[in-house]
Amino acid sequence: MGFFALPDFLLGGLSAGASAGIALAGAALLTGLYLLKLQRRRVLVAFSPLWTALGGERRSERWARRLRRWVSLLLQLAFLALLVLAAADPRPAAADRGGRSVVILIDRSASMSARDEEGLRIGRARRAAQEIVAGMAAGDRLMIVSFAATVTPETGFEDDTARLRAAIERVGTGEEPGDLRGALAFARAVLRERPHPTLILISDGAFSEDARREVRWTDPGSPDNGGLSLAGVDVRFVPVGRRRDNVAILSFAARRKPGDLTSVEAALVVQNFRAVASKVLVEIVAGPQRVAIERVRLTLERDERRRYVLPDVPAADTRLEATLLPGDGSAAAVDDLAVDDRAFAVVPAAATLKVLRVGEGNLFLDGALLSLGDAVDVRRARAAAVSSTRDSWNAYDVVIFDGVTPPQAPTVGRFLYLDPGGPGSPFAVRGTLSDPVVSETKPHHPLLRHLALTDINIARARRLTLAADDVAVASALGNPLIIARTRPNLRVVALAFDVRQSDLPMRSAFPLLLSNALSFLAGNQQSQAVTLRTGQTARLPAPNAAAALSVVDPHGQRRRLLALGDSFELPVTSVGFYSMATTGDGGSGGGGNRDLAANLNDAVESDTAPVPRLSLGGRLLPPVDQTPTRGGQHRSYGSWALIVAAALTLFEWWSYHRRWTV
Amino acid sequence: MNDGAAAQPRAPSQPDGDDADADGGGAHGAGRFDERFLRKLETLSVIVKRTFAGLTRANRRTRRVGAGIEFADHRAYAAGDDLRYLDWNLYGRVGRLLVRLFEEDEDLSISVLVDASASMGMGQPRKLDVALQVGAALAYVGLANQDRVALYPIGETLSAGLPPARGKAHILPLLRFAGGVVPGGRTNLAAAVKTFLRRHRRGRRGLVILISDFYDPAGYREALNLLRHDRFEVVVIQVSAPEEAHPALRGDVTIRDVETGEERELTIAPAVIDAYLRRRAALLRGLEGFCRDSAVPCFCITSDTPFDDVVLRLFRAGNVLG
Repeated sequence: MGFFALPDFLLGGLSAGASAGIALAGAALLTGLYLLKLQRRRVLVAFSPLWTALGGERRSERWARRLRRWVSLLLQLAFLALLVLAAADPRPAAADRGGRSVVILIDRSASMSARDEEGLRIGRARRAAQEIVAGMAAGDRLMIVSFAATVTPETGFEDDTARLRAAIERVGTGEEPGDLRGALAFARAVLRERPHPTLILISDGAFSEDARREVRWTDPGSPDNGGLSLAGVDVRFVPVGRRRDNVAILSFAARRKPGDLTSVEAALVVQNFRAVASKVLVEIVAGPQRVAIERVRLTLERDERRRYVLPDVPAADTRLEATLLPGDGSAAAVDDLAVDDRAFAVVPAAATLKVLRVGEGNLFLDGALLSLGDAVDVRRARAAAVSSTRDSWNAYDVVIFDGVTPPQAPTVGRFLYLDPGGPGSPFAVRGTLSDPVVSETKPHHPLLRHLALTDINIARARRLTLAADDVAVASALGNPLIIARTRPNLRVVALAFDVRQSDLPMRSAFPLLLSNALSFLAGNQQSQAVTLRTGQTARLPAPNAAAALSVVDPHGQRRRLLALGDSFELPVTSVGFYSMATTGDGGSGGGGNRDLAANLNDAVESDTAPVPRLSLGGRLLPPVDQTPTRGGQHRSYGSWALIVAAALTLFEWWSYHRRWTV
Repeated sequence: MNDGAAAQPRAPSQPDGDDADADGGGAHGAGRFDERFLRKLETLSVIVKRTFAGLTRANRRTRRVGAGIEFADHRAYAAGDDLRYLDWNLYGRVGRLLVRLFEEDEDLSISVLVDASASMGMGQPRKLDVALQVGAALAYVGLANQDRVALYPIGETLSAGLPPARGKAHILPLLRFAGGVVPGGRTNLAAAVKTFLRRHRRGRRGLVILISDFYDPAGYREALNLLRHDRFEVVVIQVSAPEEAHPALRGDVTIRDVETGEERELTIAPAVIDAYLRRRAALLRGLEGFCRDSAVPCFCITSDTPFDDVVLRLFRAGNVLG
């Protein structure tokens, strides 16, 4: 319609076509109804004075009557036109061209739930966003976007402040770290080719240095631009956060020790992000009854990060939860950020190590392996078969060479050598030692857990040569007796002597040493449970061709995941335990149950230090200018049209009762 | 419905003779009278409160000195009086010449004026049909009692009607005439009455039965007063249509006056209906009050009232027929 196609106006509501259609249809309807109204039913009466004294229009006044009817029809058509005008919401194109396209990027990552602001940091962020909306200029279009590990557009580009305000109030915090790069990439994408692109980041600035450095301000086409280009975008920063007061559990994990079904080894990493030293109490509880099994008091210096290992945690339950408490053990909040004051770990199921023992009969060794019970599944091969079994070594968790050495040392796998010799020895043999005495040990090495070897007697040992990355766990005056080698895809433990040439098999230390060696060799591969980080998408293998996975998240919400190929993809959004149960193909059941633990585990997110000025790509982001610079508030012609329509209605009512209109 | 604003009430041509149909002959009069009803009418007689002088002797007594046998009064003798009527006994006692006066049996002049304006053509059944039926019934009773009966349709003026006649032999021409009357024109009761009085300036006074809906913009008082002042005994019969007593109009309508053609647009709401009914009731109350004050019998009927009831009960209760 020509009216709406005026070059100086743009439509913010209905399109021009829709407006024209509604206007034409409405006008036709009104006119039709009006013509019907004109065709009143004629009724003959015997004595009209009985009726005419009651009022009514005399039809004999034809010119006045027609004029009044035309005025009435025109009033109604004008009313319709005003309504269509309001629905189309025209605005000056000049103002629109001057308007900005603004993306308000609200950080809703875990750190935004810190309590140092009134209503949490996210509350401060919401208020800041509301202020920006209140100060939007004529022609501005705003888009509300929230982000943590994922980016969520809460609105499209809008100039409806009510919708924008409602969208802002919907933004809540999550328990995930913030993905600044993803958020900026999204904002750049939606701002591409829009007029006056502006990005306002409302955040506490808890982003990694890498993420901040990745931003480029040069043109995307320039050769040195390998990162995320924000060239041409007016980027502003609204800081949130007042203080730095947080102590966080950055890591918590438990693993089952091979050969020891009664206890697990737990390790946690705690960091003090305060500017002063802090005393905290770490409480570890187990099981659904939350039975306290460990309490550890830690004193952490400023910014100190400490790794704490609990080597023997009773493993009656598979779920462990670590909680940070104030140093006095009270139930008060230990710091501003609660989400990283709790950490969760799942003890993996006890695994049976598959072990291949190659060598001639050795009752001492076999007896020690037998003492490990179901923890090991031992297969045996004669020494002569050392070469013929080579292809199957990778099928075992550990291969023990007892008095026999393969002609060619393996480079992949996990091996325990007892008295290695010959050209295939992984450690060059330089001779023999007689009656070596253990003079040096590394007592904290996993191989020597619970062991003291200082008083064992060895009749004869080989003099082995260490490589650069080898560790002599126990030595006799510099000659290694127990060696540990760890290389990519290779782990080797070697005893430089034949156990039968010592009294070690006669000691209780031998099965312990053997257990430690198997645990060291098997390592995390066998006994480490998977601990997830929030914000990541866990790829879980689908056991036995399971078709579906039923997941109960930490909040008790049940979800059903379908297999994608041979795995399930689980977005991890909350800290806590995820319980999963798989069902077989066709819902026949028969799958397995499994628990997974999810933690924040993000030092950047846990560092609640306020960032009053944020630098991206080497450029300091300016603050937001709250003063509208382009003509003040948006002029709504649609609203004015509604007001005029209302006034027209009043006038029509008034004129009708005065018989000016019909 | 015809346009009453332009048309005039139309009276039929004079009856051709006794070969006319008893029911009036024309299409308009079809069904107005039946044999059973006519038999009922013959049992009635007209009772009037006054006696009138007549041209011939009939079944009515008049105080006019005449050849009657019923003594009425005395008056002083005047030259030229018939000496046979001198009361010599009274002359012997009081010494004055007095003449005896006797009530003379005379016929009665009945004029039935039926409003045949356009408004009388309305209603279901039509008011004019009922009015003519009532008028014809009264005329029949009069003819049966040897009274002189005339029937006149009135509208804006007095139309050519059926001249006075006497004897039951005239009933068929009268019914034929009544059956041919069609509604039309406006109502002007005063003008019609004036014309009627001019025609009867030399005639005898008598009974005038005025049957109308009395929807006259100029009112009805002048017409009734003219008749009363000219010493006519008047009987008023007001006829309404049931639709007028209970209008079924709703919504936006254009009302058109059937006589004047004036149109008005109205939105008929219950309040409008109530106001209309109040005004109509006031009109009827005014008519009844005026008639009561003027000692004029007044009957209000609706056109759906069974005709038997109107003639046999209403009139009898009103002491007109007996």
